[in-house]
Amino acid sequence: MNKISIAAASIVTEADLPSARLGQRFGRLDLQSQLALLAVASLKINFDEFARDRIGICLAASAGSLSTDVNFWNGRNGIGGPSPTLFAYTLPSAAVGEIAIHFHLTGPDLCFVGDDKNLLAEAADFIRRGDADGCVCVFCEAVTAGCAEMISLPQTATAGAIFLKRGGGLREWREFDRDMKALCALILQSKSAG
Amino acid sequence: MRETEVVIAGCGAISAVGCGIETLRDALKKNSSGLRPLEKFSSPRFQSNVAGAAPRNFDDDNPAWSLATEALQQARESAQKILAEIPAGRIGLVLSTTKANIEALERISENRPCSETARRHLQANLLAADLAAAHGARGPVQTISVACVSGLIAVQQGAKLIQRGEADAVFVVGVDCLSEFVVAGFTALKALDPLGCRPFDAARCGLSPGEAGAAIVLARKDFAADSTIKIRGFGGSNDANHLTGPSRDGSGLAQAIRVALKSAKLSPQEIDFVHAHGTGTSYNDAMESLALKTVFGETSPPVSGSKGMLGHTLGAAGVLETICCVLAMQNNFLPGTPRLQTPADGAPKSLLREPKFGLRVKNVLKLNTGFGGMNGALILSHE
Repeated sequence: MNKISIAAASIVTEADLPSARLGQRFGRLDLQSQLALLAVASLKINFDEFARDRIGICLAASAGSLSTDVNFWNGRNGIGGPSPTLFAYTLPSAAVGEIAIHFHLTGPDLCFVGDDKNLLAEAADFIRRGDADGCVCVFCEAVTAGCAEMISLPQTATAGAIFLKRGGGLREWREFDRDMKALCALILQSKSAG
Repeated sequence: MRETEVVIAGCGAISAVGCGIETLRDALKKNSSGLRPLEKFSSPRFQSNVAGAAPRNFDDDNPAWSLATEALQQARESAQKILAEIPAGRIGLVLSTTKANIEALERISENRPCSETARRHLQANLLAADLAAAHGARGPVQTISVACVSGLIAVQQGAKLIQRGEADAVFVVGVDCLSEFVVAGFTALKALDPLGCRPFDAARCGLSPGEAGAAIVLARKDFAADSTIKIRGFGGSNDANHLTGPSRDGSGLAQAIRVALKSAKLSPQEIDFVHAHGTGTSYNDAMESLALKTVFGETSPPVSGSKGMLGHTLGAAGVLETICCVLAMQNNFLPGTPRLQTPADGAPKSLLREPKFGLRVKNVLKLNTGFGGMNGALILSHE
């Protein structure tokens, strides 16, 4: 079965975070991991239908982990010194780790810094090569005020997710589906219209 | 249809043992260590001042650029003949890094001088774009940041770009620099060995940070008929267990190794040598030993690790250590494990303290693991 489909899509912003019900640890995560985790939870995928080691995660972080980097560095002279907890989130892939832990997904991972134009194609490649039967794709734009000051990106806090899987779904995935944000919006729009 | 073969056509490196591939090869043969105490980290704020520093100017505001450029230049020169045949539009670049030019954040926040370019390279994707532009890679560009597995995944991605027909050659570049940011972070985690790391040693108690620029030129086999080392297989997995600690039973890494063996169409018995992640932290080395036991049983192939020589170079580690494997295969030896004195209980019985010479090494398994539970296994084959 060579068909690869989009099973679900979601978009979340910082405004959605306070209503998230994702366990006690959620509040301790950095902004990027919170957004990413909530975007994946909003897909409402029943991962029990899959073997967990056959589900991959592909994530693109537009500004890497720079927002958390700034927080970690600015807090280095505080009482107790630099935060070990925050240091763990100074990796763009920390959000991938949090998704894997929360949903117990043990398949292959990828994490890009920058735009998300490779994301769906790489996820589809995992499936096509037989490395996975499904793949969670997440784009994250977490740019805090402190980070925006440093680089030429506007302040933002949003994330979106798509679940690609082998076989049929909401919509067949095509090679030219590159703009994830637009695709998420399109799918959500057609779902609400339908 | 037979999958396109991808080979290693050139390498370059600058690390704690010096500049150039020959220097790295000699250090591997001598089993020497580039770790040393550094003035920069001689402060009670840091748990250890022992680190693997590359030969570079510590006043440089853009060391990520300098190290990456040096390594890539070397790699391009070593693959000059092959690259001359490939149009720039068919050459891609995959950058592997965890912190890019984090030096700029330290400088900006302390109101020290920082160039616009150094600030720009805080963003890893812009560092990748500028490296590609400066080194004539006009094909696809990717920036990979998957903790300490980044380098192996970057090699995998480079090979995939070629196999999918998106490029004929790919520059895979790994870079990360010693910085107060990183040393302060590992100090906060209490993860540094004050005496310098001792991978797989009974007395090990932490890692030593390192820095490096490392670059590999990957090419389609038809462009590089004389290149004899090919990318044979890859496997990745996630422990889904803990953000900063590995799984206790090694099952995640064992899964990645099995996937790699399957993709390489090899049995465990066909692996001649394992180049371990071997950070020198208590849990990581124990986990890695268990994973090897799970896959290979009691008769594991010879195992060694290079972080006692190079330090933990984070996003550069997978690329740099893959080059160590290439040098071993090309020169018929197995590297040792510098700074290892007494192997820990449970460490692989086949652990090599010293290098072994005069051996034909056909299939090598290279391992890396990272924060976030990521595991990677790469298999190289020597024709």
